[in-house]
Order: sequence, then structure tokens, then C-alpha cells
Amino acid sequence: MRSSGAARETIIKNGRKRNYLTRYNNFWGWLFITPVVLGLSLWVAFPLGLSLVASFTKWDLITRPVFVGFKNYIDMFVFDPLFWQAVVVTLYYTLVGVSLQIVLAFGAAMLLNTKVRGMNFFRTLFYLPSLVPVIVSSTLWMWLYNPQFGLLNLLLIHLGLEPQKWVYGTATVIPSLILMSIWGVGNIIVIFLAGLQDIPKQLLEAVEIDGGNAFHSFRHVIVPLMTPTILYNVVIGIINGFQTFTQPYIMTNGGPANASLFYVLHLYRQAFMFSKMGYANAMAWFVFIATGVISIIIFKTSKLWVFYQGEDKK
Amino acid sequence: MRNKRIAFFAALAVLAASLAIAENVKLTFVYWGSPNEDIALKEAFKSFEAANPGITVEPMYIQGDISGTEYAAKLRAMAETDTLPDLGYFRPDQFGEFASAGYMLDLTNLVQRENMGKAYLPQVWLKVNNRIYGAYTAAECQMMFYNKDVLKKAGVPLPPSDYRKGWSWDQFVKYCRMITTDYKGRHPGDAGFDDRQVATYGVSLQLWHAMLTPPLWSGGGGIVSSDGRKFLMDSPESIDVIQKIADLINKEKVMPYTSPSSTSQAGLPAPPVMLANGQLGFYITGQWELLDIAKMNFPMGIGALPIFKKPAQMYISGASVIFKSTKHPKEAWLLYKWMMTPDKTLNLYSSGLWMPTKASWYSDPSDLAKWTDNPVHPPEYRTAVIDSMKIAETIPEARVKNYTQIVNECVNPQLDRVWLGEITAQEALKKAGELVRRQNLLQGTW
Repeated sequence: MRSSGAARETIIKNGRKRNYLTRYNNFWGWLFITPVVLGLSLWVAFPLGLSLVASFTKWDLITRPVFVGFKNYIDMFVFDPLFWQAVVVTLYYTLVGVSLQIVLAFGAAMLLNTKVRGMNFFRTLFYLPSLVPVIVSSTLWMWLYNPQFGLLNLLLIHLGLEPQKWVYGTATVIPSLILMSIWGVGNIIVIFLAGLQDIPKQLLEAVEIDGGNAFHSFRHVIVPLMTPTILYNVVIGIINGFQTFTQPYIMTNGGPANASLFYVLHLYRQAFMFSKMGYANAMAWFVFIATGVISIIIFKTSKLWVFYQGEDKK
Repeated sequence: MRNKRIAFFAALAVLAASLAIAENVKLTFVYWGSPNEDIALKEAFKSFEAANPGITVEPMYIQGDISGTEYAAKLRAMAETDTLPDLGYFRPDQFGEFASAGYMLDLTNLVQRENMGKAYLPQVWLKVNNRIYGAYTAAECQMMFYNKDVLKKAGVPLPPSDYRKGWSWDQFVKYCRMITTDYKGRHPGDAGFDDRQVATYGVSLQLWHAMLTPPLWSGGGGIVSSDGRKFLMDSPESIDVIQKIADLINKEKVMPYTSPSSTSQAGLPAPPVMLANGQLGFYITGQWELLDIAKMNFPMGIGALPIFKKPAQMYISGASVIFKSTKHPKEAWLLYKWMMTPDKTLNLYSSGLWMPTKASWYSDPSDLAKWTDNPVHPPEYRTAVIDSMKIAETIPEARVKNYTQIVNECVNPQLDRVWLGEITAQEALKKAGELVRRQNLLQGTW
């Protein structure tokens, strides 16, 4: 969109005259983007604005909203005993989860990029879990995690280890959810795999000719060229992590003892269980801004470690 | 020419007739429930339409989620956009708020005019400021199932079937210990008893808030006082009851740990299955589970609930209301009454899902026979369950303000840690009390 707009501007500047063709093109251009523009403004921009306004009100949907200024935001930071709990839970899951996902998916992608017989089978095998709907995988993992009859505890007992409470224990619930998320990293693996296959062969050959071993090509060719892909996966992973809802909603309902009370689950309860729409909107804006700020920080600092092909390393 | 004129008038007459049919009153009835309930309700609507020509009923079936949050959210959105249906089911925990905000039709005069007050159980009518704005759809309570074979094998006598003569808690725990065995036949307390390899558990007791109220009341405690001004969970009586229930899991080892906060019980073999398989002696749960349990092939019995200090029972159900925005209050009231007549949805009662709201269905032998004279309801059901409704108190969710938040945000997370054996009931419930008071949630009743 941006580039076509820029192109239009160039035409106008260079031509200095709005001839029939430009006008004709403009007409059709606007006509074609109208559905998108209307859709975005009606269904995205307008609700976004409305939710910002609502975040300054006390509103239960059935009586008139009352303007309360910054009260919702103050309640959030000062009086809601569960707000910070939800923030900590979400950060814990996101930071640990995303790091592990990236490292393991990268490793898996490296393995899946080798030339071995039946590679297509292995690639399918690793990708398959990410095709399973969250609701199905959550149910499956609940069986695995069952403290009395689950497969995982059965294995632990046979290995002579102490059985765990998994999602039913306050200390183990988040690690259990992270473990489950790692099972579904197929999407990330595919993106890494695409990145790996984009690495120019001649660079790897050059390392070989210079007498470098596998570690050298990994450290000095593969990793630098993969940094844009890593950046993308980190940003998307963090955004997804902040929005985690389905797994705790289905599996733990935020429990036990709020140990898996994710931010969005807390928000959902405020809105739909306790009818505090204004407060829930304030919470939504906080996570929106926080996500934005974190993304900007990552992008700004990415100059230090992300390397794009065809760009000189400064 | 003349023929044409006749044809014209005939056409006009047909048109007028079809318009008259189109003037039919259409009522929209909103509800949740299992697929079985859906079928039963649709049949009731059909029979209503047949008995009341000129009124059609449009079912609006919103498939239920376990906590009811989605249903409530949908109705809230409809209230905001002025698109509420005419009548239907309503979540009791949101009833007070909606009734106070003027969304429900005041039924007081209608109920009085038709002398309906006395014909129904006294708990049925839902009031705000002493005006009736709705009624419980059915009646539900807590009951105790058992597997006769498991009890016999363990040498445990069958529990009393009179609700007033239930076992004391200590007796009950003793029998649970006799039933509980590990794979090598050892009981809790025996040397070498392995609580990780239990073959048969004594009891499974549902741990969500409503299921805790009868034991709490029995022990002289409660969750919140009925005027909504006092938090009762941190009273010594409540703490004692909660600790004793938690001890079933962590100290006595006679009850499997089930997570009350997990919305999906997926992965846990459902207690009814364990009961039928002989892996469980007693199962304390909601009356509605009779529907499923009665279909299972095992020697099922029903016993009086164990008693802490005095017999106690709860009354719990979904609610039904007429929305004030309806354009056809008269017709809506006809349908409302129809749905309150148990004969019209008899299958929901005789199958074990519901208990009726009509008083005569608890005392009149011919009415009683209509829903209990079947293999689903064993003889002891009458004294253990039906008679206990005389002392049933409604759980406070429809009256007390912020009840859902008190239970979900302050009480449940603390109780989780008690069931896990991480902290004592004393520590947990003191903390819950602090949370309730800090957020100023005790705001009285609607």
C-alpha cells in the first residue's frame, strides 16, 4: 500500500498535471481499496477508539456508562491484587517459553535441513502438532498430565522418579504449559527451515574452502544470516505469548491458586464474568501499549544483532 | 368480466387470510442446556403451539459453556443493543443486577392473580425488593451415590436413607478408609500403603462452590451471609469443614485429587465412571448426575449426606425470566406458565436430570409417581433426596452482590492451595477474607 501511494505521488510530482489517466486510475484505485478502508475503519479503528473511551468509564453494558477518569488505570496498578499476578504469570510464560521455542525450533530446523532419507516424513512429523486445534491438543495434554492416571506420571514412576502434579500444581503449571507449547512449534520450524534454505550455498562452500568446520559455518554464516528470521519469530512469539488465553481457559481456568492466571484470562473474567467493561478495556489498552513498547525496543535494538543480506556489517 | 372480478375478490380474500396468519404472535425463547434438554424443550414448544393457536415459539438455543460466562455475555450484549428475546433462561448469578436495572418483567401481580405462590416450592420465586422478577427453572440439590458392591466387599454397611439420619462425618471417614485400598490390598494407615497406586477410593466429592455449601451449612458455616454483609468462610466453623474435606485428600488419602478450577475435567476419569467400575465407594455431587449414573450398569444406591452438626441441603438451579422489552407480555406469560408445568417437559424430570418446582410433585402420590415411578429413581431417593428439599436453602448467588467475584477471585484460588495440601484451611480462608475486604466486595443484596 505504501509503495503504490509513493508511486502515485511520484507521478503527480513529475507530471505536474492530473491528466485523465491519473484521475481514471485514482478513481479505480480508491474504489478497490474502499472495502478495506471501510472495513478497517468500521471494524478496527472505530472499536479501538470506542474501547479507549470506555476505558475511562464504569460500564456494565446494562446501565449507562459513567465517566470515572483514570480510576480504572489506578485500580489496575494499585488496588487489583490479581493484576500484577497476571502480569508476572504472563511474562514468565512468554520469556521462558519464547526463548525455549526459538532455540528448540532452530535446532529442529537445522536437523530437518539435512539430507537424510525420508526427510519429508520427519518434516511432516514435526509440523503435524501445529495443525492440531488448541482445544484438541489441550484435551490430549490433560490426559498426559493427569496426576493419577496420566502417561507422563506413569513414565516417571517407572523411571523411579517422583510423580508430578503438572498443570494441577502451583509451581509446575506454567512449565507444563510451556512444555505443551514447545510440542506445537511446527510453525516456527517451517519459517526457520525456509530461512535456512535461503542461505547461499557459496558462502557455506567458502567456509569449507577456507578450512572451516561445521561450527564455523554455523557461527559465522548460518546464525548471522538467520537473524532476520529470529527477529521475526521473537516478535511474533512475544505477541502471541502476551495474548495466551485458550490453554489456561480450557485447561486450568487460571488455577491452581491463580498460578496460571494469564493477563488475557484475567481481562476476560473482568469483562464477561464480573461485567467490568470499563476496567477490562483499560487492561486491554495497557497490554496493547506494553506490546507496542516492547516491539519498538526489540526493533530498535535489533540493529545491533540483526544482519540483512546485501547489507554491510557496520 | 364477472369471472375476473370473482377471481380478483378470491385473490383478495386469500391475501387477507394469509395476512391474518402472518399476524401470528412470535415469541423467542432463549435457553442453554444439553442436547437432550434442547430436544425436550423443543417438544414442549410444539405442544404449546398446538394448544395456543396463533402463537409460535422460536427457540434460541445457546449451547452451554460450563461456567455460563458465554451465555451471560451474549445476553448482556443483547441487552445493550436492545435485542433481548421475549423470555427464557437466565444465569441466576446475574439475575439481581439485571432485575434491578429494569430488564425483567415484574411477575408479582400475575403470580398472585393466578394463585401460583403456594402451588410451587417456597424457594422458587426470585425477588428483588420483594417483587417477583423470575423463578428457578427447576430444582437441584446435592446427593450421595454409592456402589453397593464396593461397600459390601469392604464390609461397610449401606448408608442410612433418611436425610435426617445421615452418618456423622467421622463415621463417614472411617468407612471411606475401609473402602480405600492400594493395588496390594492395603488401606490408608496400614504399613506400606502406597497412595500413588490406589485401586479403589472411598469417596469423590465435587469441590466447586455450590457443592461446598451443604457441608458448610451442616457444620454451621457458610460462604457469605444471606444479607451479603458478612464473609463466613473465615469463621472457625467454615474453616473446620473445609479442613476436614481437604483431609480426605491429603491426610486420610481416601479421595482422589480433582481440580475444581479446571473447567474441563478432561483427562480425569469421570467419577461416575470410577463409581461404575468399582474404583469408588461414594460420590457426592449434584442431583442432575442421576441422568448419567442411572444409565450405567452397576448396583447403584443413594444415601443420606453425611452430617457435620445438622442436616443441610441446598437449592440450586438456573432461572427463567420474561424480559421487560417483550412486545407480547400476555403471550409470553402463557408460555412461561407452560414451561413451569412439569407435565410439559416430563422427560427432563423422569430421566433424572431435574427435580420439579411444583409443590404437589413432592407430596401428592399421583404427581410423585409421574416422575419417580421408574428404574432411574430407586426407592430410597424419596427419603434421602426428595424429603431433604424441605430444608433446602437457596445458594446466595442470585441475591448477594459480587457473589461470583467473591467466589472466583477470593475464595477458589485460596482453596486450590488447601486441596493441594500446600497450606491449611485456616491460612487460606484468612487470606480470602482479607481479599474480600480489601476489594470492598461485601455490598449487601440486590
